[in-house]
Amino acid sequence: MSDPKIEGYEFKPGFKGMAQDTGSDQTMFKGVHWGKAMMWIFLLSDTFIFSCFLISYMKGRGSTLIDWPNPSEVFALHVGGVDVPLLLIAIMTFVLITSSGTMALAVKYGYEKNRKMCGWLILATAIGGLTFVGMQAFEWSKLIHEGVRPWENPFGAKQFGSFFFMITGFHGTHVSIGVIFLFIYAYKTFKGHYDEGKRGWFTTMKGNYVEIEILGLYWHFVDLVWVFIFAFFYLW
Amino acid sequence: MSDEYENKTGYQAQSSETIGGGGSGTVSDVDHVRPAEIPEQDLYHGHSFITKWIFCQDAKVIGVQYFLLATFTGIIGLILSWLMRLQLGFPEAAGFMTAEHYYQFVTMHGMIMVVYFLTALFLGGFGNYLIPLMVGARDMVFPYLNMVSFWSFFVAVGVLLASFFVPGGPTGAGWTLYPPQAILEGTPGSGMGILLMCISLVLFVAGFTMGGLNYLITVLQARTRGMTLMRMPLTVWGIFTATILAMLAFPALLVGGLMMTLDNVLGTSFFMPTILKAGEVLEYGGGSPILFQHLFWFFGHPEVYIVALPAFGIISDLISVHSRKNIFGYRMMVWAIVGIGGLSFFVWAHHMYVSGMNPWFGFFFATTTLIIAVPTAMKVYNWVLTLWRGNIRLNVVMLWCLGFIVTFVNGGLTGLFLGNVTVDVPLSDTYFVIAHFHMVMGIAPLMVIMGAVYHWFPLVAGRFLDETLGKWHFWLTFLGAYSIYFPMHYLGFIGVPRRYFEMYDSPYVASAVGMNEFISIAAFIVGAAQLILIFNIIKTLKIGKPAGHNPWQANSLEWVTPSVPPEHGNWGEKLPVVHRWPYDFSVPGAKEDFITQTTPPSEVIETEVEKT
Amino acid sequence: MSETRKQEQTTTHKIGIYLWIWGLLFVLSFFSYMVDWYQFQGLLRWSLILLFMFLKAGLIMAFFMHLFWERYALVNVLLWPMTAIGCFIFLMVAEFKYTVFTRFFYFVVGG
Repeated sequence: MSDPKIEGYEFKPGFKGMAQDTGSDQTMFKGVHWGKAMMWIFLLSDTFIFSCFLISYMKGRGSTLIDWPNPSEVFALHVGGVDVPLLLIAIMTFVLITSSGTMALAVKYGYEKNRKMCGWLILATAIGGLTFVGMQAFEWSKLIHEGVRPWENPFGAKQFGSFFFMITGFHGTHVSIGVIFLFIYAYKTFKGHYDEGKRGWFTTMKGNYVEIEILGLYWHFVDLVWVFIFAFFYLW
Repeated sequence: MSDEYENKTGYQAQSSETIGGGGSGTVSDVDHVRPAEIPEQDLYHGHSFITKWIFCQDAKVIGVQYFLLATFTGIIGLILSWLMRLQLGFPEAAGFMTAEHYYQFVTMHGMIMVVYFLTALFLGGFGNYLIPLMVGARDMVFPYLNMVSFWSFFVAVGVLLASFFVPGGPTGAGWTLYPPQAILEGTPGSGMGILLMCISLVLFVAGFTMGGLNYLITVLQARTRGMTLMRMPLTVWGIFTATILAMLAFPALLVGGLMMTLDNVLGTSFFMPTILKAGEVLEYGGGSPILFQHLFWFFGHPEVYIVALPAFGIISDLISVHSRKNIFGYRMMVWAIVGIGGLSFFVWAHHMYVSGMNPWFGFFFATTTLIIAVPTAMKVYNWVLTLWRGNIRLNVVMLWCLGFIVTFVNGGLTGLFLGNVTVDVPLSDTYFVIAHFHMVMGIAPLMVIMGAVYHWFPLVAGRFLDETLGKWHFWLTFLGAYSIYFPMHYLGFIGVPRRYFEMYDSPYVASAVGMNEFISIAAFIVGAAQLILIFNIIKTLKIGKPAGHNPWQANSLEWVTPSVPPEHGNWGEKLPVVHRWPYDFSVPGAKEDFITQTTPPSEVIETEVEKT
Repeated sequence: MSETRKQEQTTTHKIGIYLWIWGLLFVLSFFSYMVDWYQFQGLLRWSLILLFMFLKAGLIMAFFMHLFWERYALVNVLLWPMTAIGCFIFLMVAEFKYTVFTRFFYFVVGG
């Protein structure tokens, strides 16, 4: 990947380059659109939120004298007479990772000004996200049906339900917000707003394909959080 | 470059890109600055009253809005402190006040002052106004989001003040909101009060995330040509670092507040252990109150630096301008700010020495706390060394600077006592702690705010505030604040506990009564003295002395705008080009005792200036 | 591996790399799932879970989120704050161990 072309600036690689970039005038992140830098910093902050949730979960689970429920049993699906542990979760993981892949491709085609491919891939990502939320909702209803509540559950320590609903709820909300934006961006892409630089409705700023990369970063973050939730909540 | 949209809505794009090459139009080697990397910013110009003064996207207007709302909230906090002092000094006169009321006042005073007044003022008020000007930008990078951030703060204040009027009143759990008491009956406001407090905090965090993103990205990505990070005034460094802390620390508060709300509303047991309430076993069980404390202070300690760092930055600039001398050790001051900011994430449990946490933690946190004292002390030495042999102008601004140094040293020294575990054990939860944090967080930053108001008023309003009134304001505030908080150290030493409604039938009654009366009277006087400033501002706006262009003869960019006060877009036709740091004061041999940042080297004739 | 098609200074990559990464993520997810299927326990379970988790996270951040190709300034600004989280994790492990110890000692053993 070559560095962006900036007049009067000679790029250096590695840490020397970082020192030079930091010491230079105007921008620290060379060639990075302000919106992209902003999304990254927002994601850093959001990472701290989810980290605090997961650390609290770790602390809560570690402190309890009452046994923690066994996730592979609680989250198992009964299919064809067999108990398949974590089946739904495995499918959800697959769906979300695939949607992350389609999003990355959408960003690529966006920069290549391939409006149709970009639009369809954003739509595919949105549908993947919607499927994920649907499956999460199904899982919630299944567990509620089995008696899991935020304040207690029949499988073990009280906090299991509390942390489960809170963490997956917060993550699911993030996914849902992402899905809404994905549908809006798919529409804008098909309409050619990013090609013509049409001004947005809210902010009256001119449209640009970098916005798709920015949304892409948010979507990959949502996938990233799921990787951690999957590992710490469902597998551990 | 206007399109149909621009013609219809009156939107106006700024003119063409800046011209590459030297600053004053001459392309000479010595004046050469790298060309612009990014195209000029699109700015939305409002045309109706509403889009120019209410829902305005101009960071300067937003800055003033934050300043006014934060000050309004601060006045409410001040009135609450009067009520507290009335009870403590003259309990017979405070017969209308119950213990519950008192705890509610204590809680709301604390939360308002720390979060809604100081944080909002420094980051939202000073940050919004000064950052774009000082880095040479026309506005923040995302003005729309900036505007939304203020209105989010507005709603947050609304929700907070609404908690005064709900059944049960506002929460009385202390600004630290510790569970399990905060959501149990017996603590005032344990139903609606704490709920509204948590909602308000969530809205505040959302708003300050939006604002913080703007401040950070504007500083990192929207500086003008020639403006390197090491040529930024320390004001920007202080606010910038504080914003980084805010982005990383507020999440912990959000999580703690959210989990406590769930405990309150849904009956979860994140923080609630098995509890007996008047013989009745509650439904909760298995939770950990100390988890909340860790989450709260993981936020809470960076929060105090979010208040302190902008104060450090601003005071450096005030001292250097008014002593006509460069800030001593600028690079070290920058590293100290960054170092304090980074270290602030590793010291939080020094607020928890007596909480019953893992006993080994005391070793770790006392060590890191002593380490963080080092860069802080260095900054104090550097401020003093800046003053040393400076051409000091002893005006009102300088008085506030000197007041800051004195009160901050006082408060900082008492912090050393509290930072050590064994010394903290008898002093914890006494008036000694109250004295310490009011000195460092209350009085010292307040001195900075006052100094900054007197210093930048000529820029914002085009007139000087009256010096005589200013001096009365200063001396009453400074001597008064000392009268309030210095005696509290002694109260703390003899063991008078904090957050107590009255002295009851305790051994302290005899010795503390007189002291409490004295402190209360001082508090009433100091509070009233702030009216001098309000009167001063109103008087100045009507008949004040015009200040003209760069009245303090300072160097930083905000003083070299084409018009005073700066218009929307700040710089008119052409963005400024920066050639030096903002501290070229009293350069030996130079024509004047200051050289502005935009002065190109070719115009500095009589002397050689070091390249900065 | 990367194909430079200059589009307003943004280089894009061949589709192949995205498919490879997606495949790798799928494989790692499958391995994580196998950890549970085969019911590994104890240290083996936890270290495998963490290993696959960090590998997946790393791939997503490096390639889907493009960090592999970004300049060091951005990468370092994003990654160093994680040390504060690391410190918090480390201390909270000590804290939960202390909490469960005190609960055991006072409520079960009887103090």
